[in-house]
Amino acid sequence: MKKLIFFVVIFCALYRSSSAEDKSLTVYAYVNGLVCDFCARALEMTIGKQNAVKAINVNLKDKVITINFNDNQRLEDSVISQLINDAGYTVREITNEKK
Amino acid sequence: MKITIFTILFTFACFNITKARPVSYPGGLTLMLMNSAMKNSLHTHYSPTAKTSLGYKIEYWRGDEFTLNMIQMNNLIKRWNKPESQANFYLKSAIGAALSDKADFESKKNFAGFIGISTDWENQRYFIQYANRYTKAFEIKDFYTQFIHLGIAPYIGEYGDIHTWFMIKIDHTPEFDRKLVFTPHLRFFKNVHLVEVGADTKGKIMFNYVFRY
Repeated sequence: MKKLIFFVVIFCALYRSSSAEDKSLTVYAYVNGLVCDFCARALEMTIGKQNAVKAINVNLKDKVITINFNDNQRLEDSVISQLINDAGYTVREITNEKK
Repeated sequence: MKITIFTILFTFACFNITKARPVSYPGGLTLMLMNSAMKNSLHTHYSPTAKTSLGYKIEYWRGDEFTLNMIQMNNLIKRWNKPESQANFYLKSAIGAALSDKADFESKKNFAGFIGISTDWENQRYFIQYANRYTKAFEIKDFYTQFIHLGIAPYIGEYGDIHTWFMIKIDHTPEFDRKLVFTPHLRFFKNVHLVEVGADTKGKIMFNYVFRY
């Protein structure tokens, strides 16, 4: 019985641990001035090279960039805004859910 | 006099450096190859920030047979970013040397430079641009050029698609034999590549290629 309780406790601990690690985050930034592939490329290169960023997708029609972060990492909204400004564009809104 | 004008142009270029902001994104490299009825040119530049680019340009003006080799700086003075559109106002300046092949000026060399503005507005459907420039190459050629560039996209594509534009460029060059040149053309744009192909009303080919990395 002691052994059974021990295994159950170990299993629960490992399960919780693996669940806690799965904390990847996605952010959506709505951008003004996003009108062509060169604009998309500029944002892709500027934001995509940040260490915290796992993947970036630019949607020209909706003028939104989708940023996927590495597990347990993210950039503050103010940092994302600054990076977009540095690339030559302006931010309309940053959200955690796509509209 | 030559040195004075050269100094003014150089000072202006330095002034631009201190105010500079990039034209591409920070760290972006651009290659532009332009061929039209009037000239062939190659321009490659680097953008240290999103409001300035600094690069090298070589132009060969076929009618008067002279070459300009220049260091060119482009400054984004103002950008208007709107939800569905973008507008820009640029200042362009360059300094360098002119070399003439024409019989009267065989192998003549001079200081040269130009200054001009460019402004544009575009969304994913329409494009309009106006640009001008005054070029000074002293005994070889001093001249003013300006153009209007208009475009319409028949469909709206997504990033990475081939974007197609129907366009026309109208060049006005008062000091040249052909004062007005109309060049209807097509623009194809995909990812980091932009190609323009057309011909003017006298059949002279236009071929432009831009690569941005």
